Amino acid sequence: MADFGTLCLFLALAASGWAVIASLNGWRARLGELVLSAERAVYATWALVLLSVLSLEYCIFTDQFGLEYVASYSNRALPKIYKFTALWGGQAGSLLFWELILISYASLIVLTNRRRNRSLLPLVVTTLAFVSTFFLGLVNFMARPFVRLAFSPEDGSGLNPQLQNPFMAIHPPCLYLGYVGLTLPFAFAIAALATGRLDDTWFRTTRRWTILSWFFLGTGILLGGWWAYVELGWGGYWAWDPVENASLIPWLTCTAFLHSVMIEERKKMLRVWNLALVIMSFLLAILGTFITRSGVISSVHSFTKSDIGPVFAGFLGLSTLVSVGLLLYRLPDLKGEHRLDSFVSRESTFLFNNLLLVGAAFAVLWGTLFPILSEAVRGVKITVGPPFFNEVMVPIAFALVTLAGICPVIAWRRASPRKLVEKIQIPFWALLGGVVALLLRGVRDVYALVSFGLAVFVIATTVMEFVWGARSRQKVTGQRFGGALLSLVDRNKRRYGGFTVHLGFILIIIGVTGSSAFRQEATASLKRGESFSVGRYRMLFEDMVSRDSPNAEFMGARLSIFDGERGVGTLVPGQNFYKAGQNPSTEVAIHYTLREDLYTILTGFDPHEGRATLKAYLNPLINWIWIGGGVLILGAWFAMLPDLRDRRRDAEARLLEVESRAA
Amino acid sequence: MAQRISRKIVITIILLVAGFAILFSVGLKGSLVYYLTVSEFMDPGRRTDLGDHFRVNGNVLSGSIKKHEGAPGARFILTDGRSQLPVVYNREVPDTFVDGSEAVVEGSLGADGTFVAVTLLAKCPSKYEAQNRLTNNDRRPARATPSSDPEEGGVPSR
Repeated sequence: MADFGTLCLFLALAASGWAVIASLNGWRARLGELVLSAERAVYATWALVLLSVLSLEYCIFTDQFGLEYVASYSNRALPKIYKFTALWGGQAGSLLFWELILISYASLIVLTNRRRNRSLLPLVVTTLAFVSTFFLGLVNFMARPFVRLAFSPEDGSGLNPQLQNPFMAIHPPCLYLGYVGLTLPFAFAIAALATGRLDDTWFRTTRRWTILSWFFLGTGILLGGWWAYVELGWGGYWAWDPVENASLIPWLTCTAFLHSVMIEERKKMLRVWNLALVIMSFLLAILGTFITRSGVISSVHSFTKSDIGPVFAGFLGLSTLVSVGLLLYRLPDLKGEHRLDSFVSRESTFLFNNLLLVGAAFAVLWGTLFPILSEAVRGVKITVGPPFFNEVMVPIAFALVTLAGICPVIAWRRASPRKLVEKIQIPFWALLGGVVALLLRGVRDVYALVSFGLAVFVIATTVMEFVWGARSRQKVTGQRFGGALLSLVDRNKRRYGGFTVHLGFILIIIGVTGSSAFRQEATASLKRGESFSVGRYRMLFEDMVSRDSPNAEFMGARLSIFDGERGVGTLVPGQNFYKAGQNPSTEVAIHYTLREDLYTILTGFDPHEGRATLKAYLNPLINWIWIGGGVLILGAWFAMLPDLRDRRRDAEARLLEVESRAA
Repeated sequence: MAQRISRKIVITIILLVAGFAILFSVGLKGSLVYYLTVSEFMDPGRRTDLGDHFRVNGNVLSGSIKKHEGAPGARFILTDGRSQLPVVYNREVPDTFVDGSEAVVEGSLGADGTFVAVTLLAKCPSKYEAQNRLTNNDRRPARATPSSDPEEGGVPSR
């Protein structure tokens, strides 16, 4: 099976390479058949990559520990679900998984564009197949998943316990679907630049794909945070770790693109900027994959140690060169058609929003790459700690939130300042009311006051936008308010989906503020029957409990939780001792409420004295981060649904194409 | 370009960029930390002009871990094969912190020559273990490179 997998990978490399050459030459020589052959090669690559992924999974499921990959990331007793996820547990497998997603996307693009965008497609295929060929080269020659050991060990060393968590079954695929998806708008952008067809086709065709990738990347980031929260046992969810940053950076530039592309659609402005954003997002996604997979940043003096480092750097350099070259070459054709003339207009809020987002992306990138840069320049690695990120990102986030509040009430082109003041009156009073209420409740943290105040402001303007829209629709149609609201939202899915995303984002901001500004913690070493407290909760240590499963042995402390005098249940924080590895794994226990989480950890147990060392965190409002994430997901899906307008436009486009072919 | 965009917008953009620059320099000032190996850190000539807050990378010397009793934290020795550095850490240690794991400590040198760490990151030695277990059969695996994969460890503990 392993040999079959190797063979498939090799054939896939050949097919993918053929797709690059055939579609490029087919486009140059206008040979439709060559282009068609390239498209078939994409399907063939997909089938071959799928077969090799299946054979790797087969080897993992049948415990073929003679393979280095299986021996390193699986073991006999590993539950089925984690045998499945062991596919992306290590470097070689995750690169293969990356390739599978890429080639699946590419096949879908080819499939859905059989009769559309025929002039762009050859170069889209070239670009996608080129990226695919690079990753296939990696798994064929650098990080091979099917390497055999000289002998076959009895059992594998097992998947890292921290990856044995349901979140780890969804988080990496989600992140990868996002990272890889950014290749699609990039491929269309490159095709548009190369062919000179710089009208709105490239971004209209990829709009949904871009939102989809943005959505997956964002969901992946959130799930990663949630995983860190429930699994790593330090009570937090985000640490400005290079791997986390790597996924945030392209997400920020992609967010910027999703906003500024609306300006291009309406005003034919910012065209170079949009292309640049799409190119940047792709390059940053590749960089992110590289940072995640190679660990160059987290270790000292490691750049030379990483074997895939130079290859990735070469690929990034080449992609940058080609895309920037094409962009410069087409620069004269990319003049905007309108002026950005008014300061008080929705266009200008989008412009500032873009600057802020790209500035934020640059700050995170700078802080993340600083160790590598300083090592290259001065020979010493200098790391940048979380304070840098917090100090830079908090003001940027506040500015972004403010814009999100003003943007919906400001008109396109030229808004009258008087009308603007009129419109933000109610939200402004809401902001003031909110801040005063918080002050009365004893909140003195300036950051928290600003953050919550702005959040109230944005929620007010956004909700009012829904209400006003529904009211004016009511006047036209005479419907009831609810019906008017529904039909309003249904007719403008993108607009109101977008606002819903804003609301989700604000809930996340509220959760982040609450859990970082008002966190409490307590540590205690207790005998049975003793208790300790944090905030309004008291935790009574009842007894030690243990459980046995084929994969691991669990030992935990049973705590009775009291809110004041009222019992609210038991928590059993503990440790899992995995049979395959020596490392115990901390299993935190959390009492979730909308108001706050009580987060408990067992850090040690002394059997002689019967003493358990326990730690508890009180994380206020933290669940609003995940709830906000849910709202964001809903909004994003809603924005992706087809609008009446889109359908009409699609039909028109198809008609035009048919007519032009007939003519 | 200046004619295409109103002056107010240009001014705001300049202000924004200036704001970024200020944020950057202020933010960087307090958060730069030198990242050294144990030998580099133990070389006083190299260290003195670099401030007093450091990140040091090494491996946990097997058998050197002494966990605090009744409180989270531990004392241990960090080594890179050539030099050794005694470390004390007073918060709960991550799961990945065991004999032989690769660790990064951040903190400063105490008066008694013990490094007082405020953060401890540890990468579990699963790959090395795998290697050991495989080599215990007196047959070396064909190719087993130590992993440099952050998803396998390198987990922050705060």
